[in-house]
Amino acid sequence: MSSISQNDLSNLDDGSKKEIMTFLESENSKQKVQMSIHQFTNLCFKNCISNVQNADLSSQEEQCLNNCVNRFLDTNIRIVKGLQSIQ
Amino acid sequence: MALTSIFGGSSSSSGTPATSSPSDVKTQLKSQISQELAIANATELVNKVTENCFEKCLNAPYAASQDNCVDQCLAKYMRSWNAISKAYINRIQQASVNGEI
Repeated sequence: MSSISQNDLSNLDDGSKKEIMTFLESENSKQKVQMSIHQFTNLCFKNCISNVQNADLSSQEEQCLNNCVNRFLDTNIRIVKGLQSIQ
Repeated sequence: MALTSIFGGSSSSSGTPATSSPSDVKTQLKSQISQELAIANATELVNKVTENCFEKCLNAPYAASQDNCVDQCLAKYMRSWNAISKAYINRIQQASVNGEI
């Protein structure tokens, strides 16, 4: 991979710098979503998928995955509210 | 968000000339960032699937490999990934519509 020199970077005009910053912010928030999906899949796969005899998801498994994400988020919101109320 | 997005759709530019115009630098910077993120995501996925499928398919004293089980497990993990992704994004959109975020 060819790298970008320090010189190239300092030669960027303000418009380009701003564009890069905007790009970084959007990639950053997309990445946060991606990492959450990794985390939820890891957690919910462990809890909802009891066997891997079949590569397809059963409707119960799919429902369980769906509930798992939603209950995790409910719990997260509840915890944040709880912590806010004691500070 | 499709699963394929984590492997990055954008192609990387290679063999750029030594003197780069600002717009080349910009493009190259963006593609380098996207590529790094795609690698980070692919690594995370490989690690998580390996951990989960090892747990589901193999047992101590690990005398035999379980290729068939691992293959099925991988397919099932990917389907789970997609289901979770859909559920999470629905929830984010719902929260956004309700003005919660």
